[in-house]
This record gives sequence, structure tokens and C-alpha cells, in this order.
Amino acid sequence: MKNILSLAFLLTISLGSIAQSKLPPIDKSPLDISYFPDNYPVLKIQDKITEPLLARVIYSRPQKNERKVFGELIEYGKVWRLGANEATEIEFYVPVKLNNTKIKKGRYSLYAIPNDEKWTIILNKENDTWGSFRYDLKKDIVRMDVPVQKQTSVAESFSLLFEKAGTGFVLNALWDDVKVSLPFSLQ
Amino acid sequence: MLPNFLRIASHTVLVLALCCCTPKSDDRPKLPLADSLKKVSPNQYVSTDQSPMDISYYPTEFPQHKFTGDAKAEKPVARVIYSRPHKKGRTIFSSSEKSLCSYGKPWRLGANEATEIEFFVPVIIDGKNVPAGRYILYCIPFADKWIIALNTNIDSWGLAIDASKDVMRTEIPVQQQAPALEDFTLVFAPASYGADLIMAWDEVKAVLPLVFSQ
Repeated sequence: MKNILSLAFLLTISLGSIAQSKLPPIDKSPLDISYFPDNYPVLKIQDKITEPLLARVIYSRPQKNERKVFGELIEYGKVWRLGANEATEIEFYVPVKLNNTKIKKGRYSLYAIPNDEKWTIILNKENDTWGSFRYDLKKDIVRMDVPVQKQTSVAESFSLLFEKAGTGFVLNALWDDVKVSLPFSLQ
Repeated sequence: MLPNFLRIASHTVLVLALCCCTPKSDDRPKLPLADSLKKVSPNQYVSTDQSPMDISYYPTEFPQHKFTGDAKAEKPVARVIYSRPHKKGRTIFSSSEKSLCSYGKPWRLGANEATEIEFFVPVIIDGKNVPAGRYILYCIPFADKWIIALNTNIDSWGLAIDASKDVMRTEIPVQQQAPALEDFTLVFAPASYGADLIMAWDEVKAVLPLVFSQ
């Protein structure tokens, strides 16, 4: 009897664990969000907003983990999701321009084709998708080539952050010793 | 460069300060944000969060289904974007003022930014019609029930909840679960009437039923 009871007890415990193990674990490459203006959500609750919300990007952050990133982990010449997991999502709260193309406000996916000296950045209208595995050229809105800026310091985690530039803003992508900047202007 | 033990001690203090999920006066927005964040991370551009962000879709794993070609629709039905604090041996829900989420006090259902829920179609919650769109979601926990509120103050940090922007509130029962769950989790599950939004952390689980109107 004692044995049956302890078996039942163990079974209950393990069933509990099974139920919980179906819940999603923490991602190895965690999701993050960047706003422009920078820190907009904090400024909002502190009543310190001086400029309207223009853009935000939602992306996952893979780690370098002592690997050489560009040219090896991320192969040159291939479409990369500019992050990890879900395709990276950028949202514009106002109409913007990239590479002289007018872009309506709304959500888009961002991809990149990295190379040694330049990256091709792709804005694509297929949303809520995973990675670049089914990247569909026909859904491109605009592409732009941007130069690679080699950094002297190394970024462990992939980072996307906005920065004010002229009358618009740039989206900086940084990982390992590489930086590229994507310039957006306001319409 | 600080000696190692000082760095570890200052990291610990920062981690404790950054992980709090109750709206205390010493919580994150009151800190010199950029400076303190730099210290918890090796990344000089944007720190990685102690409580990382995550996203859950309904249908469950919609983006994965989209890439395998199994998605039945172009758009998902709902998604939630939230940050995932860790239990780390602490008491999460209790009547004590010192617990992370005190009974009766609004909690952002996550960490960092306010938790965002987006409905791509109209839904019905507790008999009330909720138009498609983006909202923030928060709760007021109690021992036996949670009050769940949908609010229009989107793109805000989760500590200053403005109840005047609530669009609806509903009460749901609290269920106990064992073993304790380390990381706060929001995930959708299918239900006969639509979907459930499961909210689970520590020894507590609450379920918000979402009815999809046709």
C-alpha cells in the first residue's frame, strides 16, 4: 500500500512537471524592444515626453558566445532575420522614407544580407513569421545597401537601437565588431 | 575597475533593484536608468534585460506555422508581448507589502514595459465586446482571485498604471499549482469558445477566457 501511495505521489509530481514543461522556457536569445525616441515607455510614465513616438523594433538577441559571427555563424550573402527566432519586426507610427521609398506607417519585417563591406537591409511586408526561412522576395517594400563600420570593441549580444539623426533617425545594428546604420527620414 | 567582490555586490544590489515588480518608489524608472543598466550587462550598446522579453501568439506558435506553411490564416488572432521575471527563491504573491506582488496592488503582469496584448480580431471577454487593437494588460492579485484589466496606455513602462484608461475589468479565480514555476509565463491555449490566456508564476495560475466573435 505504501508503495502504491508513493508511486501515486511520484506520478502526481511527474504529471505536474509534464504539465509545466509544456509552458515555454526562457529563450536562449531573449526578445527585446527598442523605441524611438529612446526609452519612450519610461519617459511616458514620467511625463517627460517631448517628441512623439516614431518607431519601435522587436527583435531577439543572439549571443556571440566566443564565436566569429559575420562570415561564419552568419554567412555572407544569405538572408538573415536580423536577430533570432521570430522575424524582427519594425513598426512606424508615422510615414517614413528609406532609400527614397515612401513607407506607410505600420508593421514590417526586417532582414539583412550581410557581406564583408556592406549589408543589404530589406524591409518586407510579411509579418508575424519565423526567421527568414520562408522569406518572400515578392513581399519586399524596399532594400538598401549600407556600409559596414568596423568597431574596436565587441558587442556580446546582438543589439538594435535608434538614434536621432538630422530630421529623422537611424536604426543601428551592432554585433561582434560590426555596426551598420539604416537611415530613415520623415516624409 | 572595481575589485571583484565590490562589482559582484553592486551587481547584486542592481539585480534586486531591477527585478522588483511592485510599483515601489525605488523601482527602475527612478534610477539613473542608462547608467545602472550598463553595469548589469557586458553589452555597451543596449543592456540585456534581467527579465527577458518574450512573445506568445494565438494560434500557438503562429510564426513557426507560418514558416512551415501550416498557418491557416495570414494573420494571427492574438499575441502578447511581456517580460519574464524569475522567482529566484522569493515569495511572489502575498498580503505582505514586502512581497513582489502584494495583494490589492496593480501589477504589470510581467516586468519592465507594460505587458502588451494585441487582438487582430474583435474578442469577447467576460461578456464584453473588445474591439481589435492593442492594449496593455495588468492585474490586481488577491489570494483567491485576480482582477484583470485592459487599458489603452500602450507603449508605457509598467509601473505607473493609469486606471482612468481602463477599457474593461474582469475577475478570474486563482488556481494553485505545484511545483512552483520559476519564470513568469503568459501563453495561449485553445478552448472550445476561442482561447485561454494562461498566466502562471510561482505556485499560482490564472486563466483568462477569450471568446472569438465570428
